[in-house]
Amino acid sequence: MRLCSTRLLLSVVALLYSVAFNSHLQAESLPADFQYFLQSHCFECHSGDPEFIEGDIDLDRIEVDWSFPDAAPFWTSVYDALETSEMPPRDAESRPTPNERAEALEWLERSLTNHSKVGGTLPRRLNRTEYEHTIRDLMGLEDFTVPHSFPSDGTAKSFDNVASGLVLSPPLLAQYLEIATGIADEVLPPEVELGTTPSRRYEIDPSSLGSSAGSGAKQIEDRFRLSSSRDMSNSAAWTSVFEAPYSGAYRLTTNALPFQTDRMPYPHQTEPFVLAVYARGNGKQQYDQFEKLRFLGEFEISADEGSPTTISTEVELYKGEVLGLRWTNGPIVSQPGGRNLRRDIVADWLSRDRGLYAAFLELNGGKRGDSQVAFYDDIEALRKSGSLDLTDPRLDTIPENLKGGLNDKLPHNWVKKYVYEEMHRHGPALDILGANVEGPFRLIEDLQTRLRKERSERLLGDRSIYPTEDAHARSFLQEFLSAAFRRPVSTTQLDAYVKSYKDHRTQFPNARLEEGLHQAVRRALVSPAFLFRGISPGKLDNWDLASRLSYFLTSAPPDARLRELAASGELTTLKVLEEETRRLLDSPQRERFVSNFTGQWLSTRALADIMPDPRLFRSQEIFTRIFTSAHRNAMIDETEMLFDEILVENHPIETFIDPGFSFRSARLNDMYGATLESQQMQRVTFPKGTQQGGIIGLASVMMATANGVDTHPVHRGVWLLENVLGQPTPSPPPDIPAIAPDTSGTVTMREQLLAHQADPSCARCHERIDPLGFVMENFDPVGRWREHYPIYDESADGAQELETEFYSNQGKAPRYGPAIDPSAIMPDGTTLNDVTDLKRYLLKHDSLFAHCLTEKLLVYATGRELGFGDRRVVEEIVKNLDKNGRGFTDLVVAVTLSESFRTR
Amino acid sequence: MPHTPNRRQFLKGVGVSLALPMMESLLPRSLATTSTQTPKLKRLVCVGTYLGFYQDDFFPKQIGRGYSMPSVLEPISRFRDDMTIFSGLDHRGRNGHEGWKAWITGSASGSVSFDQLVADQIGGKTRYASIQLTCGTPPGDAQMSYTKEGVALPMIGRPSVFYQTLFRSDSDKARIEYLLKGNSSVLDGVLEEAHSLQRNLSQADRRKLDEYLSSVRDVEKKLQKQKTWLSTPFPTTDYELPPFDPVSPEQSFECESIMYDLMSLALSTDSTRILTFMVPGWSQVFNIEGRRLSAGYHGLSHHGNERKKIEEYNIVGREHVKRFERFLDNLSNHKDAEGQSLLDTTAVVFGSGMGDSNTHDNSNLPTLVAGGGFNHGSHHAIDRTAPNARRLGDLYLTLMQSFGMEIDQFAGARSNLNEVFS
Repeated sequence: MRLCSTRLLLSVVALLYSVAFNSHLQAESLPADFQYFLQSHCFECHSGDPEFIEGDIDLDRIEVDWSFPDAAPFWTSVYDALETSEMPPRDAESRPTPNERAEALEWLERSLTNHSKVGGTLPRRLNRTEYEHTIRDLMGLEDFTVPHSFPSDGTAKSFDNVASGLVLSPPLLAQYLEIATGIADEVLPPEVELGTTPSRRYEIDPSSLGSSAGSGAKQIEDRFRLSSSRDMSNSAAWTSVFEAPYSGAYRLTTNALPFQTDRMPYPHQTEPFVLAVYARGNGKQQYDQFEKLRFLGEFEISADEGSPTTISTEVELYKGEVLGLRWTNGPIVSQPGGRNLRRDIVADWLSRDRGLYAAFLELNGGKRGDSQVAFYDDIEALRKSGSLDLTDPRLDTIPENLKGGLNDKLPHNWVKKYVYEEMHRHGPALDILGANVEGPFRLIEDLQTRLRKERSERLLGDRSIYPTEDAHARSFLQEFLSAAFRRPVSTTQLDAYVKSYKDHRTQFPNARLEEGLHQAVRRALVSPAFLFRGISPGKLDNWDLASRLSYFLTSAPPDARLRELAASGELTTLKVLEEETRRLLDSPQRERFVSNFTGQWLSTRALADIMPDPRLFRSQEIFTRIFTSAHRNAMIDETEMLFDEILVENHPIETFIDPGFSFRSARLNDMYGATLESQQMQRVTFPKGTQQGGIIGLASVMMATANGVDTHPVHRGVWLLENVLGQPTPSPPPDIPAIAPDTSGTVTMREQLLAHQADPSCARCHERIDPLGFVMENFDPVGRWREHYPIYDESADGAQELETEFYSNQGKAPRYGPAIDPSAIMPDGTTLNDVTDLKRYLLKHDSLFAHCLTEKLLVYATGRELGFGDRRVVEEIVKNLDKNGRGFTDLVVAVTLSESFRTR
Repeated sequence: MPHTPNRRQFLKGVGVSLALPMMESLLPRSLATTSTQTPKLKRLVCVGTYLGFYQDDFFPKQIGRGYSMPSVLEPISRFRDDMTIFSGLDHRGRNGHEGWKAWITGSASGSVSFDQLVADQIGGKTRYASIQLTCGTPPGDAQMSYTKEGVALPMIGRPSVFYQTLFRSDSDKARIEYLLKGNSSVLDGVLEEAHSLQRNLSQADRRKLDEYLSSVRDVEKKLQKQKTWLSTPFPTTDYELPPFDPVSPEQSFECESIMYDLMSLALSTDSTRILTFMVPGWSQVFNIEGRRLSAGYHGLSHHGNERKKIEEYNIVGREHVKRFERFLDNLSNHKDAEGQSLLDTTAVVFGSGMGDSNTHDNSNLPTLVAGGGFNHGSHHAIDRTAPNARRLGDLYLTLMQSFGMEIDQFAGARSNLNEVFS
């Protein structure tokens, strides 16, 4: 995909250039020798009938107009193709002698150096992340996120903050306009009249109560039975037929009765049962535990099972809220941070009741799709069957962790279900016999309105200090627009906004200040000066630099300090720029740089879309039976924490290749053959020079460069060339069929690819790609180390299950297939036996990685494809890096101090 | 210089001809589309259940007209001459709940759904080009309709919101009118800003800003259309909503019923001609006609081929079909402005993006088409293992062509089902 888009871009450039070529008169003639070179070696494919021109690159030219912006990129691509010997192809009829090539390159290099200036970033639209952070900072809306329907950003040069990829389309602008109204409502709310509304009575039959998920609480005959738990989604009752139609005061009346029997495994409760009342938005917070919900009050219910207690209380509800009832002092409730009594109870049962324990083991999590009722029935039936082996030695020890079932490998919480069902059948529990709600007796402002008004007051400040509302408006707009546009608003701009404010005022003489400003805010939020950065003409000034630095390292607009330095003009001095770079790298906001940069450079963003084949997790030797987002997140955390330490500690950049340390948790045990116990990420160390650690060897990278099902040496090789060695490969010709792994295990990818290399036009790239890919074959599609290819006895079709499903661990484990041969020979003749040799190779050729990383940082920081002029800058940065210990922090600083960063 | 085809050009040429299916390229283009027909279809409704149906009791055992009605579809048996059941259709797509998203897009999520292509064709004639519906908040990130830009369209999950959309009260109208008017001057303002910025920019920067300018102009046109509709009075109704929105999972059947009622009102008032409705499913435990089912809906859908669970899964399936029956009934009782019955002029696609929910297998998707004046009454069984077997996208192509659209490819499908169904 990426390669295709590069190709497309090149064609577009070529096309635009041809157009300009005919219309510009100030052109320099191509030297006769160079024209002859092109004619002899390139015209075969790159001239003639436009329909047949290879890659739409027409080299049949006699002159070049360097004033045209696409001329330099066009000839740079010609230079690159020649310089890397990619062109002319090996099978071309006429190939230049090394001398001819050198002469052609010499002219190109000289001309490009003269004509390709440093810089050239187009105006950059804020991308999704930047837009969100910008709105949060500008409006003080800390939780702001764009709606789900927001179109996603395009990428260019692998990053989503590069100007050419950030296209603005009509649907996106329509979204900006719509969101702007929502944002303006949040800070300058329209007037809301409370009005009046008749009160009415809502009967709530127990049969209409519901738990928000699962069946922890349920209707039993004519009552609704609550078990006790922290978990509001399972054990509480919610009113699904009553949702507050208006924000206001209501009266809740309910009847409750304890349920206790002689058969319950808990002591009889004599102190009153406590019933708590909560509220949440209908359909919202369905899985939240009670401490996150809005608490409205609690009431005592007599423990006497003979007489129900009626409670009646006034509650204030916001529009759209439903009421929840929860029993708070049952036997298996635990307070936040307190002991989990459930384990104690079950452990106690298991040690006393070998039959129950044996039944749990026998049922091993229950059958597919079983409800808690069926599970409980099955356990009871097994206990009565007499078929259980009570001498099983496993019954002598109680497992440490009961969370996921008995052997800690079952994803569903069967113990919990058993406990709930036990309470439903034998008690103790609390029964709701009926309820009703009456109201509203008086209306209240809803929560949203209240918060909005507070924000509005904060934003507008003290009204009394302004002689007129118009003066207030002008002063507000001056400050707001300067913040929104990230530079002092010009008088022309300000006047235009003040004028439209006054026009509004004329049109609606009775409108409040808020309404006039509402429209101005909406306008500012779709203004090009807000949506784009780097849109001012002329040189990159202090304000542009402040934005560029700030969005680079924090994905957010400049903070107060940066604005101050921009205003005083100090930011453009190198000393201050360095200080500010280091300050932002020290701030917690650098986390956004870490995650956005690694997410794209190291492709970890791709993980979210990869659904690993469940057959990968069917071995008895591993613990990961289902691959969940928790595993994914741990992989991403590892990547980001590694990057962050290198960044903060100023480790040499080679640390990315062979760090000798990483950050892991128990979730990554299978990926690295480790035995960590904690789910918390922790720093681990290991010897350098091993297969462990670094970019090549990060489970995240290895998973992101596979497809979840199998590995492909070409994909990984291409990835490594592009992202570590800095030698991107062109896309394959469109008519070449893809090579797919042969899953029957008879022909390896290596054999297939080596056959492919016999064709010289393929070998041109594949001799560089394939060795790197072969070496990485030891990592499976989720980044685990392997010595053999797997052979599956089951088709992938039958095995495809959602990762969140609980049965993907059923089925046969793969068998060992052919042994993996990770050895390879690099184009320079170096033999690599395995991935440790590859790391050694990369360390030996350390300038390749240094160039690559510098270029990636510069592209991300400047938002442009680096031109020929920028290459000299990269060269200098890398050279200076050697002098200063190759520290990564120093490299980031060198990037911000570079001419490329400081030039538009 | 002389231009002789070389190896590369030859390869390129071969590549092009290989990209077209052999059969298609041999057929005259006029046969591949039905653009010459007068469109008979006026409306499109797609209803998909998130957790699917039990295939064995959804697909008839017999092929052709004389099939006996499968138990899940029993509630709509009186409409058998107004509907056609298809088995063996799917998109050769991805399995799992994620694969559901392909139901009306035909391919991986993010590509346009066919209802939106139809909306491009006919949506301009009504207040809303299309409306997307569901019940409550669907699980996960379940999505159904996608725009051409690959954006999933948000679905209305509250009956009261859908009601407001159709029969907006005056106070809302005033505010919307006010905002629309304001937004027009907002766009005028930013257009001026952009123009004055552009004067000082370099040529390349100016091109970038052109994107902005053309987007603003496009959105202005959209606002204009909205304004026109705003001055057209909203229709009125005596339909009464319950005092609360039944959006909790346990109440989803109530929600489904109301949504269907409002859907027929949306069509009969000509507020829109395109509706999509995703009927979601969670782990809710249903009480159906006094019977409390033994497990949550999602659990039942993973029935593990146990008879009892299949039976309960089918009870839920039939409940969905009962509500669908009422919708068909409403459509057949209403006539549009030209005096044609809504049912005869509305293609209603009913089914699921989930094939076998037990294994999350998304092949052989439950599919039926009701209404639209097609040659109905049969069960067509497609042998999906046959070479060049028809796909679900072929059915969508037939439907789109029946709207007069000139389209002969959709998400991997390159023919249509006109030979059995038109």
